[in-house]
Amino acid sequence: MTSMTSRDSAQKPKLLESRRVLTLILLAAFIWSLLNLDWTSGFIHSGGISAMGEFASALFSLDLSTDTLTTAISASWTTVAYAVAGLTLALLIGIPLGAIGSGVLTKSSWVKVSSTGVTRFTLAFFRSIHELVWAWLFVAAIGLSPIAAVLALAIPYGGILGRIYAELLQDVPEAPLQSLRSTGASEWRVFWYGRLPMALPDMLSYTFYRLECGIRSAAIMSFVGLGGLGHELRIALDDLAYQQVWTYLLFLIGLVVIVDVWSTMVRRRLSE
Amino acid sequence: MTTIEGTSRPTATRFTWPRVTFIRFSMITMMVLIAASWVFVLNADGAQSHSIFSMHTVNRFKDFLSDLLGIGSSSTPAFAQWSEWRLTGHLAYQTLAMSVLAIGFAAIFALTFFMFGARNMMMGDMAPYSSWFWRAVFFLVRGLFVVTRAIPELIWAMLIIFVLSPGLLPGAVALGLHNAGILGKLSSEIVEGLDQRPIQALRSTGAGRFQVMVYGVLPQALPRFVTYLFYRWEVIIRTAIVVGFVSAGGLGTEFRLSMSYFHFTTVALLLIWYLILVLSVDITASYLRRLAR
Repeated sequence: MTSMTSRDSAQKPKLLESRRVLTLILLAAFIWSLLNLDWTSGFIHSGGISAMGEFASALFSLDLSTDTLTTAISASWTTVAYAVAGLTLALLIGIPLGAIGSGVLTKSSWVKVSSTGVTRFTLAFFRSIHELVWAWLFVAAIGLSPIAAVLALAIPYGGILGRIYAELLQDVPEAPLQSLRSTGASEWRVFWYGRLPMALPDMLSYTFYRLECGIRSAAIMSFVGLGGLGHELRIALDDLAYQQVWTYLLFLIGLVVIVDVWSTMVRRRLSE
Repeated sequence: MTTIEGTSRPTATRFTWPRVTFIRFSMITMMVLIAASWVFVLNADGAQSHSIFSMHTVNRFKDFLSDLLGIGSSSTPAFAQWSEWRLTGHLAYQTLAMSVLAIGFAAIFALTFFMFGARNMMMGDMAPYSSWFWRAVFFLVRGLFVVTRAIPELIWAMLIIFVLSPGLLPGAVALGLHNAGILGKLSSEIVEGLDQRPIQALRSTGAGRFQVMVYGVLPQALPRFVTYLFYRWEVIIRTAIVVGFVSAGGLGTEFRLSMSYFHFTTVALLLIWYLILVLSVDITASYLRRLAR
């Protein structure tokens, strides 16, 4: 990379420096996207401003009745349960596929090329579709069941975990592995006693980070009819019950913040 | 095991002991959570007329797949008609525009605020002086990042359609707000991890807070910021279809309509376009990331 930059500056005029080109591309792309908006009609619809006012003032008259709070707590639990169950299934997808996809389990070159190729393609496919789209497809395919939500979460998350695990398993320092190999250990043993223990803290730390994202994803599973905080939010919004909307929003924010703080604490200790 | 370690190296054990307990405590909590979640999920499923683990599910799944592929239907599947490809292609184009607009909004928001969310700039080593005002700004900005980040894109969209008229804009704003929080947090952390020496050199020449930001921090932080921008764009293109479910515009709206009218071959065609979009954005982003380095 360094050699390329120096060659660039030596031969080309400075006008075409790669970063400058990038700036131009980014600006052009943003202007293009602005041109795609419909500028002829107003952006704010009639009554939009007053709705915003009502919504903002509802924050100061929060609905904290026992009914709402009970619903909020049980919806929060549903959301957490979907997230955690989805993540456990994602681990079952991510760990084996990540290990195979990293290509460290075998030395035979053609097995390596074909197995890593197939698993990496599978992982890329899993994570290219958003969890809510998966959820909708699963609900259409197998019916309205919490299992659909868990599967829908597990597939894209498994795809992401698998990719990151594969990278972490590859990035392990070589020297300790070489010393294992010199004692006659097979690639499988090297993986089990060398790579995995060394990569494990980072793998765990990334998994905990994903838990926070999982909570948010689980909250929107309700859109296709699976309960949780998003479901209650949607009902409250349909009823224009802004006070309740705020209660559920604050529960969601609180939940995400708690998990965020927890996972940050775990990650800080793991990286020490 | 701990006692053996404790007798051989007492000081070291006393030092590492709380760290081990916290991780261990977290692991046990996680195990309990996992068990409880699975009990909950499987029990909630038991309330259904048909168990999910039965031939009934398998048959439904098979039916759905053949619906998607247009098997057993008399009409021509949508993905076999050129006109359908052109119609949905336009929607894919709109979704792409929405994603670019969203990342643009997120970038503008994050670039405006990220320096004020960096602890070292506001009250640490890199601040010329410490005052309650900048301290308050720091906590306010961090709070803003937390709230925008904690609310998922789809819920932002559900709120925003009360104010903005349907179209690409509400979707882009919803995507932009959520990602602004993420980008803001990430870029504040870039500033907190920067090499301090160039900035201290600048400070010693008498540069003020804003001069340090523009001439010291920005040039150092910008390349990594742009890298993060592209990573988020890859996520945004995947989510752009989802906010389209509520805000009119792009693939998402058509996806929802086709699903509710049982036009499953159109759903399949939309999914094909979706995958094409995701793949091309991934490739473009990884190319542009190389330019940024």
